[in-house]
Amino acid sequence: MAKIELERACLTFRVRKHDRITFKEFLVRQMYRKSINPVMKVRALQDITLQIKDGERIGVLGHNGAGKSTLLKLLAGIYPVSRGRRYVEGRISSLFDIALGFESDATGYDNIYFRGYLQGETPASIRNKLPAIAEFSELGDFLNMPVRYYSAGMMVRLAFSIATAIEPEILLIDEVFAAGDMAFQQKARQRMREMINQAQLLVFVSHDMESLASLCQKGLWLDHGRVRRFGPIDEVIQAYQASVLDSQPQAA
Amino acid sequence: MREYFRSIWNFRYFWMSLVRMDLRSRYRRSVIGMGWSLLHPIALTTTICVVFHQIFQVDIRHFAPYLLAGIATWGYIVSSTLSGCESYIQAESYIRQCPAPMAIYPLRTTLGTSIHFLLAMSVVLVMAVFFKPEVFNLVALATLPATLVMLFAFCWSLAVLGGLMNVFFPDTKHLFEVGFQILFYLTPVMWETRMVSDPFLALALQCNPLVHVLALIREPIIYGRVPSLMNYCVSCGLVAFFLTSASYALYRLQRKVVFYL
Repeated sequence: MAKIELERACLTFRVRKHDRITFKEFLVRQMYRKSINPVMKVRALQDITLQIKDGERIGVLGHNGAGKSTLLKLLAGIYPVSRGRRYVEGRISSLFDIALGFESDATGYDNIYFRGYLQGETPASIRNKLPAIAEFSELGDFLNMPVRYYSAGMMVRLAFSIATAIEPEILLIDEVFAAGDMAFQQKARQRMREMINQAQLLVFVSHDMESLASLCQKGLWLDHGRVRRFGPIDEVIQAYQASVLDSQPQAA
Repeated sequence: MREYFRSIWNFRYFWMSLVRMDLRSRYRRSVIGMGWSLLHPIALTTTICVVFHQIFQVDIRHFAPYLLAGIATWGYIVSSTLSGCESYIQAESYIRQCPAPMAIYPLRTTLGTSIHFLLAMSVVLVMAVFFKPEVFNLVALATLPATLVMLFAFCWSLAVLGGLMNVFFPDTKHLFEVGFQILFYLTPVMWETRMVSDPFLALALQCNPLVHVLALIREPIIYGRVPSLMNYCVSCGLVAFFLTSASYALYRLQRKVVFYL
C-alpha cells in the first residue's frame, strides 16, 4: 500500500542576501553589525493539503518557480516541512538531478553499486541487476573507466539506467530528460512508461502538457507555492492554459 | 533513537562501500600502497628522534615508540576532524537526492581514518616490542580495545561537529587547523611531561584532557602499565561530553543541512 498525505504543509527557505557568513564574521556581527547580510524568507510552499492514494497518477504543472520541484523534494523527504505534516507510506524512488552525484574517481560499475545502495539495494540484488543496467546504458567498456572521463550525455545515460532499474512503489519524476541523444531519449521514454505502469503511485512534474495528459489522471496546478487547482488532469490543463493565454496580451 | 540507529544500519552497504572506495583510492595511488601513507608519521618520528637525540640526548629506544604512538594518535584525531569538516560538502549530491541519516557522512570519513590509525598502531606495537621487549605486558595491552572504541567515538563526534559547523560557516576547517596547531604544542605529543622542569607548569599541563587520552594509548604500550583511574575518568568525561554535543547537534541541525549546502 502506497500513500502520500500532506496536511497544511509549508516550506520556508531562509536565504542570505549575500554569501554564507564565516565564523569570524558571525562573532563580529553579533556584536555590532546586524543588518549587512540580512536573512530573507522565501515561502516556497504554503498550506499544501494533499491526499494521494494507491494507484493514482498525479501530474504537477505551473510556471517556473511555482514550487513544483520543491514539492517533489518535500515528498521525497529531502526537505523537511517547516510547518504542517507529511506522511508517506511506501518505498520512494525519485528521478531528479539524476546526473549529479557520481564519485568521479570510481568506475562506472562502482558507481552503479554506490547509487544502488543509496536506493536501498543489497549487494546481491545489484549483482542481479548489473547486466541489465549495463546493457540499458549501452556504455559497454566505458563502465570500466572512471566517471570523470564521461561526457555529460554518458553520465545521464548511466544515471538514468541505475535510477530506473528498481521497482518502486512511489515514483517521483521531475521533468523529462533533455540530455542524451535522440535514440536514448526514445528508449528513456519507453522505460519511463514501463516504470510508471509498475509504480503504485506517481507524481510527475512536467511542462509538456501532452505527456501529462497521457500519463496522469489528476492534475495539480501550483502557483506561487500554493495549490491553485487540483482535479481531473484535463480540467486542470485547460484552466492552466487559459490563464497563461489570458496573461499573454497583458505581457505583450 | 532506535529508529535512527536502524536507518543508519539500513544504509550500511552505502557507507561501507564509500569507505572501501576511499581506502582503495588512498592506498592505490602508489606502488607501495599502505607503506606510503605510513611513511609520513614514520619519517616525522625518525627526524624528531635524530634531532632530539642530538639536542636533548634522549634515549631513542624509549623515545621512538613513544613519539610514534603520540604522532599516530594525534594524527588520527586531527585527520578525523578535518576530513569530517568536508564530509557534508563532499556528500552534497547524495544529500540532495536521498534522505539518508546525516550521521553516516562523518561516519564514512571517520571509518577511513580509523583504519589508517589501526595500521599505524600496529607499527607502534611492533616497534615497542622490538625496542622495549622488557615492558611487554599482556594485561595492560588488553585495555587497548576499549581505548580504541573510545577514541573512535571521540573522533566521530569531532567529525560531526566539524562537519555541521563547516556547513554553516565555511571557514571552520581553517579555524580547526589553527586550533590544532596550537594544541599540538600544548599536548605532550612530541615532548614528555617529565621534560617540563617547572612543577607549576607541569601541573597546569595536566589540565589538558588530551594528556589523559594519550596516556590511555601510551601507558600500556610504552610503559607496560594499565592506565590510571584518573586517565580513564578524564578521558571518559571528555568523550562523553563530545559525544553528547555531537548527538545533540545532529538532532537539532540535521534537517537544516540541506538548506545550507
